[in-house]
Amino acid sequence: MNRINPLHIGLLLVVILMFLVFNLSNTKSELAKAKVSYTQTAKLSTRLSGLKEVYDDKERIKSSLKRILEQSSLKSANIEQELKRTGIIISSEDVDINVLNFLMSKLLNGAYHISTLKITKHSKTNASFYLEITW
Amino acid sequence: MFTKFKKQYKSIFLDQSSPPFYLKDKVNIILSPSLYWVKKVSLPVKYVRDVKKLLPSLFEDTLPEGNYSYGAYKSGDEFFIFAYLDKLILDTMAKKKIAPSSIANVYFAQSELSHLQGAAKINASQSIYIKDEILLLVPTAWVQESADLDISELIPTKHSVTLAQFGHIVDSKILKKIAVIMVVILLLTATEYVITAQKLAQITELKDALFAKYDLKSTMIQNKSILKKYDSIHSKQMKLRTSISYILALKLNPAEQLSQLSYKNNILKAEFSGVVKGKESRISELLKTKEVDFKSSFKDNSWQVEISI
Repeated sequence: MNRINPLHIGLLLVVILMFLVFNLSNTKSELAKAKVSYTQTAKLSTRLSGLKEVYDDKERIKSSLKRILEQSSLKSANIEQELKRTGIIISSEDVDINVLNFLMSKLLNGAYHISTLKITKHSKTNASFYLEITW
Repeated sequence: MFTKFKKQYKSIFLDQSSPPFYLKDKVNIILSPSLYWVKKVSLPVKYVRDVKKLLPSLFEDTLPEGNYSYGAYKSGDEFFIFAYLDKLILDTMAKKKIAPSSIANVYFAQSELSHLQGAAKINASQSIYIKDEILLLVPTAWVQESADLDISELIPTKHSVTLAQFGHIVDSKILKKIAVIMVVILLLTATEYVITAQKLAQITELKDALFAKYDLKSTMIQNKSILKKYDSIHSKQMKLRTSISYILALKLNPAEQLSQLSYKNNILKAEFSGVVKGKESRISELLKTKEVDFKSSFKDNSWQVEISI
């Protein structure tokens, strides 16, 4: 006669359903948050990776500068290079204005982190410059 | 030595006129004929399960209005079929102080007392006896000799009765349908939960893969901080280049010239020689049209412009 009360079974089913619905609701909420977080991470990582490549890639910057300075018009100019742990310094005490214009157009149009710059015009044709690129 | 003994319960005879029972141990309940309807029928079917489908129609015209349950068992080539009101039996048990926990099994008197010899008194005015294999409840005055009913040695048959404790509230078929719907909803919810959990695991894996691919720091706070640093560098470098282009594009008078351009600690300085005091406003206006925020001053013979990058 000790039969299981069908209302108890019903109640158990309702409790299990409520437990599942509660868990499902939590998991859906977590999924929504995870999707937002993934999208944000994807955007952040793409942007960060791009910016790091531009401003932090030591080898890229060195090889790019080397290509510029090896150009015939600049090769003959008296441009000094000093490699440091945090960057590279290029300078000249006396450089032709046209050569300097050419160099500056390459550097300012390129992706470099210029931390220090000083250009002093000495005459109509000559100038000195000091430029530090950091990474 | 290891023989199992089936526990034998004491039996009590339950009738609506029975006195209250104060039970300490579990008992078998033998239902008085006043608590059920019985028929002996001969049917062209072989098994009890086939009879059970026919039971409501077999009692259709004989029973008063009510929510009946049915039972049957086979005896020889014939069947004993029963109709009973669960609520009536349960209410009677409750009136007689019989708790459901005290009940081992419930039986019809028909099945348990089928070998009753003569008549037996169940109370001062009523007796039971068998006529044409049917156990009848009759006034004691109708029978000649009637001894008190003794069921102390009774060994129950297999024909126990199942009482639907809630059958009178909700139809068991409706309960079953509700249960099926509930189980289906449960399964669907569980399936959706599993799918959602899998999607969550996939997203987490993809995110981990992003961290590995781009060599990101372990926390997003660190990564956001690094991005902020690079964003700041980028915006300053863009502003530096734009500001230099504005300065180089200035149209100066023949006597005026840009003698020095420097950038350090986020300050861009431009030094113009040959600029007559009071005439610098022309250059200032040109810079203002480009929306450049700057400070300017005369120092020695030159005019200095300072732009905060």
